[in-house]
Amino acid sequence: MTKLLPALSVLFAVIATAVPWGLPADATFILPLVVVMMVFCWRAIPGTALPPLGAAGLGLLADLMSGGPLGYWALMCLIAATVGDRPGSLGQGRDFGALWLIWIALVSALGVFGWLLASAYYFRWIDWWPIAFGAVAAVVLFPVVLYGLLWIRNGRIKPARNVIFRGSS
Amino acid sequence: MRERGSQLFRRRRPSWRAPVELLSFGLYFLCAVLLVLSRIGHGVIADTRDGLVDLSAPLLEAASLPAIEARRAMERVRSYTAAFDEIDRLKEENDELKQWEWRTKLLERKVAHLRSLLNAVEEPGLAFATGHVIADARGPFVRSALINLGRKDGLRIGYAVINGDGLVGRTVDAGGSVARVLLLSDLNSRIPVLVGPAGVRGLASGDNSSELQLDFLPDGAAVYAGDEVYTSGSDGTLPRGLKIGVVAGSAGALKVKPYAELNSLHAVSVLFFDTPALARADPSEAGVPGALSLAPSDRPDMTATASTPLPVATATSDEISGGGGRAQGDP
Repeated sequence: MTKLLPALSVLFAVIATAVPWGLPADATFILPLVVVMMVFCWRAIPGTALPPLGAAGLGLLADLMSGGPLGYWALMCLIAATVGDRPGSLGQGRDFGALWLIWIALVSALGVFGWLLASAYYFRWIDWWPIAFGAVAAVVLFPVVLYGLLWIRNGRIKPARNVIFRGSS
Repeated sequence: MRERGSQLFRRRRPSWRAPVELLSFGLYFLCAVLLVLSRIGHGVIADTRDGLVDLSAPLLEAASLPAIEARRAMERVRSYTAAFDEIDRLKEENDELKQWEWRTKLLERKVAHLRSLLNAVEEPGLAFATGHVIADARGPFVRSALINLGRKDGLRIGYAVINGDGLVGRTVDAGGSVARVLLLSDLNSRIPVLVGPAGVRGLASGDNSSELQLDFLPDGAAVYAGDEVYTSGSDGTLPRGLKIGVVAGSAGALKVKPYAELNSLHAVSVLFFDTPALARADPSEAGVPGALSLAPSDRPDMTATASTPLPVATATSDEISGGGGRAQGDP
């Protein structure tokens, strides 16, 4: 169960993206980006397992539920999983600030890439504002999601210390 | 120098990572392939998606219940806080409507008399089924919603979907128990419309924002902000006269503000308006698998083809209000 925790929590978020919350049109990009953010965080948190295959599968599920092109959110999740798992990552001393900076760079790149991909898919420039708004919201929400996932993880695994800040303390 | 170079070459990643990276590369490739297949609207992809969405419908329905209840509770709180203002407004509106009622009865009698003089054929009524939204589709590509009505309920692809406020969209995908509704605001949505009292023809196109673009108006058309916009029915798939919204914006950049709040839909009704154009569009009829997946189409999805007169939509919001289930609209 503990090993499945990352995948299950992301699955929960994927289902939440399809729920009719009644969000305004400009906020449509936020919930799928939270899924991507969770994939990134789970990959960055040491001692947890969310393999690229799982990340891509969950992204594919988000594609299925959204009715959009298959492979779009799978690709986003895969990129987040790859970046989140770079060698020498958080467990070896990077603090929260560094992780946040990496996320800002990643979400900016994903925003631009996603916008270009969507425009290429439709052969026309699509509205960039919802993507930019979603990216900014994803940057702001990052601490909440990260600490939320750490809380879930610690609740399940009960480590002696919070390993993410091992190097800085 | 040579030694340093050889050290660089010697610093390889552990060999156990190679299969993982190969798998990652394979996954990237798979995503790219899926995107291409989605773009060309491959039948297998569309059919698989339909099947999976149908399977996940009960889960989505269960998951959406708390959100729907929460929204309903918030609406109730909002309505309680504004109850006194609302009562005053309704009293005023009621007085106005009483006057309209008298005029309408007069006009009804006159129309009935003229119809009998002309020996006009009675317009057929529209059947409809009412269900509710169980899932939203969010993202840069689509504005759609899943509803808990499917082919089992007699639903087909291309049917108009309305709520109490007006047209919401049309069905683009139908499984056994769920259907996907392409909302008016979606990039792929194109609805032929009539604008204002003069009935100026135009095309209302979605652009993923909350308002629709109003295109292909004739030069010098007398269209003003506040004019009502309704379906023209010239595409041969939607009934004529379904209200969509009002014109907003200024000349040169006219938009349509939909009456329906597309971001917070709940109960919607599907109008069973069968036409030859729909029979061609529905893959179950035409034998084209997955033709109604959300793969983008270069042509407008509502091409004006029908020249045959179509029945006027007669199912009003009053007729469709109420709970789920199928009901017959009166003419």
